[in-house]
Amino acid sequence: MAAVNLNTVRSVIEGRLATELAIAPVIPVVFHNQPFTPTPRSLWVQCLVSFGGNNYLTLGGTTGSSNSVIGVIVINIFTAKGVGPGANYTIGKRIRDLYNRQIISGVHFDPPTGPEVLGSPSPEGYFQTQVRMTFETFEDL
Amino acid sequence: MAFYRGQQGSVKFEDTGGATALITSTRSWSMTVEKESLDTTALGATYRANVGGLISGSGTVEVLYTASSSDETNSFIEMVNTATDEGAAAFELLLTTGKSITFDGVITSAEYSATVGEIEVITVSFVTNGAITLGI
Repeated sequence: MAAVNLNTVRSVIEGRLATELAIAPVIPVVFHNQPFTPTPRSLWVQCLVSFGGNNYLTLGGTTGSSNSVIGVIVINIFTAKGVGPGANYTIGKRIRDLYNRQIISGVHFDPPTGPEVLGSPSPEGYFQTQVRMTFETFEDL
Repeated sequence: MAFYRGQQGSVKFEDTGGATALITSTRSWSMTVEKESLDTTALGATYRANVGGLISGSGTVEVLYTASSSDETNSFIEMVNTATDEGAAAFELLLTTGKSITFDGVITSAEYSATVGEIEVITVSFVTNGAITLGI
């Protein structure tokens, strides 16, 4: 029973993706606040984990009570431009399957949205899709 | 002037005659104490007259399901299914520390539910048996 460790939750989410994308064919993955210079026309993935709303779950004060901690994961998938979406959606399916309705180490993942095509890729020069999902974990004080 | 927020409340319960124990994962509670009114209007009177009658209470407690199996929370959510109930279970509903409503009572219903995407909630309803002590 303790306040939630945000880095533990983050490591559950990011570690799962890093492990999956380390399986051949290996796909580089970059997380929040990391330097990364992509190779032109290469495949790569960006994973952004953010914590959002927190809510009361139960009665009680700073001990013997529980809160809900909610967050969102945004995963950008970049593939070569001008060769169709197939390679991108293949990665998108792998990522979607990785989190879809899973419960990992107390982190509950909701059904993902996407992969959704973004009309204005950032950075430019790629075909970009985005997979987004919310997650919830519980804090026992 | 002090004000209080809902999370300062709690629920305690005991079904076997000992000291009440905290019901963990309680999300909310509510209770209504009612007094019957007895009409004592005299024949020919212009205005109706009433006196107080019997006092009783009823309410609900919402508990989040945690799969606990050997504590008062488990007893609380299963007690509706007991074969004989003499109304001796002790309830203590706290508004904040040291300010509570205490009484013996009978659990009259428990609504178990599971809704996709939501935390599982059990709503337990009760009625009082005998005296109600308002220590608030």
